[in-house]
Order: sequence, then C-alpha cells, then structure tokens
Amino acid sequence: MQQVPAVPGAAALPATPRRRGTLSYMQKRNLWGLLFVLPAMIFFAVFAIYPILRTFYLSFFEFSVVDPPRYVGLDNFRGLDGDPRFRASLINSFKYVFSTYIPVWIIALILAMALNTKIRARGLFRTVYFIPVVMSWVVVAAIWKLIFNRQGLMNTLFLDPLGISPKNWLTDVNWAPDAIVIMSVWKEVGFFMVVFLAGLQAIPSDLYEAARVDGSNGWQVFANITIPLLRPTLLFVSVISMITGLQVFVPQWVMTQGGPVDATLVMSLNIYQTAFVFLDGGKAAAMSVVLFFIIGAITLVQFWLARTRD
Amino acid sequence: MATTTEPEISAQPRVSVPASQPAYRHRRRFNWGHLGLYAGLILFGILILMPFAYMLSTALKSRGEVFSKPIKWIPAELQWNNFSDALSQYSMGHYFMNSIIVAVAVTFLNLATCSLAGYGFAKFDYPGRNLMFGIVLATMMIPLASMIIPLFMVVKSFGWVDSYWGLIIPAGTSAFGIFLMRQQMSAIPDDLLNAARIDGASEPRIFLSMVLPNSKTALSSLAIFIFMWNWDSVLWPLLVATGDKYRTLPLGVALFESSYGTNYPQLMAVAFLAMVPVLVVFLVLQRNFIEAMTMQSIKG
Repeated sequence: MQQVPAVPGAAALPATPRRRGTLSYMQKRNLWGLLFVLPAMIFFAVFAIYPILRTFYLSFFEFSVVDPPRYVGLDNFRGLDGDPRFRASLINSFKYVFSTYIPVWIIALILAMALNTKIRARGLFRTVYFIPVVMSWVVVAAIWKLIFNRQGLMNTLFLDPLGISPKNWLTDVNWAPDAIVIMSVWKEVGFFMVVFLAGLQAIPSDLYEAARVDGSNGWQVFANITIPLLRPTLLFVSVISMITGLQVFVPQWVMTQGGPVDATLVMSLNIYQTAFVFLDGGKAAAMSVVLFFIIGAITLVQFWLARTRD
Repeated sequence: MATTTEPEISAQPRVSVPASQPAYRHRRRFNWGHLGLYAGLILFGILILMPFAYMLSTALKSRGEVFSKPIKWIPAELQWNNFSDALSQYSMGHYFMNSIIVAVAVTFLNLATCSLAGYGFAKFDYPGRNLMFGIVLATMMIPLASMIIPLFMVVKSFGWVDSYWGLIIPAGTSAFGIFLMRQQMSAIPDDLLNAARIDGASEPRIFLSMVLPNSKTALSSLAIFIFMWNWDSVLWPLLVATGDKYRTLPLGVALFESSYGTNYPQLMAVAFLAMVPVLVVFLVLQRNFIEAMTMQSIKG
C-alpha cells in the first residue's frame, strides 16, 4: 500500500512531452482513479459522514420532529446520567453480548474441532449448522416466540420432563433476557463455527504431528498449539461479536419490544424508541454519541491488540 | 498441563494420520472412535433443525391443535390452506416482491460503486487517496443506530420517505465491499493493465473488459453478502417504509406477528414462506454462501 506504484510497464509507454499548465500522462491517468472512487465517496459523504457529524451536533440540542431545535449544551448528556432506561439499555447490551457470545464461542470451537477431523459427512453437518445463520432474524424470532410460549416447545419438551415448572419466558423479567440469548446462540453458532474451522484448517498439521510424537496429551495440544495459533481468529471473533452484539436490535424488537420492564431494552432499540416513538431527538442523539464512542473505543483497542502482538 | 504424559489418552483421533503412512489415502474402514463424535454432531444437528420442524408442523396444524399435549409433530389433518390463506389474505407476495426489488437493486448498486472504488484505490495514485481510504474504513465502525436520526432527516429532505429510493440509495455502497474489491484488484498485475493501455484502451474500457472479469470471485462473494445483509435489514426499512406499499418482507412478517400473533399456524406458514427462497438459494450455493458470509474473517 505504501509503495508508490512503480508501474513496471511505464517505461514502455509513449513519453508525452510535458508542457506547462497541462497534465502529464500519469496525472491524467490518475485522475481516472479519483473519478472511479468518486461515486462511492459521494454515498459515504451523504449517507454516513454527514449523518454521524450531524448526530454529534444534534446531541447539543433539544428537538423533536415538530419543534425547532433549541441549544441546550451538554444537558442531553447530563440527562443520561440518571436516566433509568439508558442505564438499563447499557447494562442489557453488555449482558447480551457476554451471555450470548461466550457460549457461542465455546460451542462453535468444539463443533469446529469436531469437524476438523477426518470424519464423514463434514459438509453436511456444516451446512445444517449454518442454516440458522442465513435465516432472517424476523423469521427466527417468530419461530422462537412460539417455542417460548408458555405451552410451547421449550416448556413442554425440555422443562417438563426434568420436572421444572413451565416458565413465562417472554413476559417474566428474569427469563426474557435468557430466552433471547438462547435464540441468539442457536442462530449465531454456525457462523462462528465456520470462522473457527477456517482458522483451524490454517494450522499446519505437522505441528500436531510433532506434539503427538512428543507425547503431549489432548489438553496440552489444545492449550499450547491450537489456542495460540488460533489467536488471529480469536481476535477477529471477539471484535465481530462485540460490534454486532452491541448493535443488536431485531431480536429484542420482535420478541419483547424491550420489555418486560426494560429487561431486554438494548442500546439500538432504546435509541430507536427514544427518537421515533418518544420523539426526544436530542436525548437519542446523545445516546447515539455514547454508542459510537463505545464501539469506536472497543474497535481501537482490538486493533491495538492486533498490532502490538505479532 | 504440567502432568506427566499419558500416552494411552493422547492417542487422540483428532490428527490420526500415522506418521509412517505415505499419504492420506489410507482411511477406508469406519473409525469406531468417531462414534461419540457422530453422536454429538447429530444431536446438535437435531437441536438446530428442531425449530424448523416445529415451524413446519405448526404451519400445518389447525389452531386448536397447536398446543396439544404431548406435542404432535404430525398434525391429525394437514391444513394446507394455512399457506394459501397466508398468501391470499395478507400481502405477503407483495412484500416479497418489494424485498426482491430492494435487495437486487442494492446489490447491483454496491457491485458498481464498490468495484469502481476498489479499483480506484488499488491501481491509481492521486493526492488524498490514502486519506479517503482511511475514511472509508473508519465508516465501518459507525453503528447504524448512531446516525439513524440525521440519516432519516436527509432521506426525508430528499422526499424519499416511503419510496424505493429511500430504501435503496442510502445502502448504495459499503466500506467492507470496497475493502474487499481493493484487495482483489491489487492482485491484478500492472503489466496486464499497461499492455491494454499501450494498445490504446481507455481507462473505463480497461475496467470493464479486464479488471471486472478478473475479479469475479470477489464480486460474487460481495453480491451474496450484500444481498443477505439487505434481505435481513429491519431497522432502516422500519423507518422509511411507513406505509404498506413499500413494506419489505421482514416488516411484513413482523407486522403479521403483531397483528395476528396468536394465530400460530398462519404465522408459521408466513414465516415458512418467507424462509424458503433464502433456504433454497443457500442450499444450492452453499459453498459460495459460507465463503461470502465468513470472508470478513480472512482479512479481519
């Protein structure tokens, strides 16, 4: 990327004599490059860069769809400090990320290791596990809403035989977050399994050979070869989990609308509701800024970790 | 970890190519050590598929049968009319068409903008190139929710609320797509491009006839990725498609759910119909699909 394009064939090109005020051949050609980049840059300017800058600006105003904006300084941010919904959404989002993705990583890694052997029908298993990944969240949520019905599959097929009394999964403050986590684990495991599988397949098999010759046991191989060599994959997996998990919206929106009693209110859902249901644009903008910085900080930390090691 | 070596246990089937064997071709017999592995994998497969079976089974039940105890996986009488009713009474076909139109348009728009920009970043040098590329990468970490209020205002000021434009244009390019295309196009030899230049080909012509055909893999991956990502998008259509006319399929399913949520057989029929097209495409193209959806990991 840093190399100045040396253009191996440049010498063979017709050497146009350069006159003052006109563009050289190379400059003209590079102008095409700028032209090629332009459409995408216009899209970014209008639909990403302007909106995010505008969000920062609007976070200093009080406004709704009907009233004209009024400058309030940092009031919106001060307001967040004691705001129970904001607090709940912040906690719920992080809880969602950890309680969903840690099981997802563990299950996905186990499945990937199982499929990284010489068993048959690996492709079939991989395809089956991947099916939920390609399903629409809305469709998935519709199915799981039925599963979590008081008389649904979860209670009758799993809890009943164990003698556990049926739960009101989606209307009980204690169980609604878990219900969504269970659904998300089911949906996401296939994706991470494939990512882990790609990482595992990149580990040279002679390393395992050598370890076996040295008489290492399964755990030693796992802890000293698999995990260290999987580090780039693990890093990617943690970044993508944090970034997508903290932005989660659809499962909570479809399953519970953030309820019961804000138990499943996550940040994106809170921003959406604050802005477009409660019409408090300034507060929603302030929340957006906070979300932006949280995700930005996490991304930078991950990049920094990636750069300092290897 | 620090324990003494346990040779018996370490005979792990995980990497079971015997060192003395010449090559991999030797495994023919069924490995009984793998039996537990199969059992676990099949059990997990059942857990993955069970919700789908439950959906299909419920979609074919009458309303009274949904919660019969014990669970009836095969209904007494198959209620196929749930499917026809779902299609005829609620405009699912209409929402489906909207989703197709929007997702296809967004995909083509992205293929165009991302391949052009990828080429512009990969093979040319001009002031501000690296800065612009840095900005493109930085936009990847902006959460949609963080910019959604002004984005909505922009689209509203263009008069695009409740129109295909509003659903399509804001999704017209993607930082990840540009990154991907740039990676692929950097690998095209400069000599090839220069040879075409010497032959007098114009820059747009080189792009169309040399660069694009050499980037087919990345283009098809990008197409699948963008299509899927857009097919599933909810938050943005929820704001922009305010009326019934431009409502997309996910919104249609969600609306059906909030309006007739207790009519589980029909809800499951609707969900099933919404799922089938994607499922079929996935099963046909599954290798490309899995590559496309996980390719971010290659260059994480």
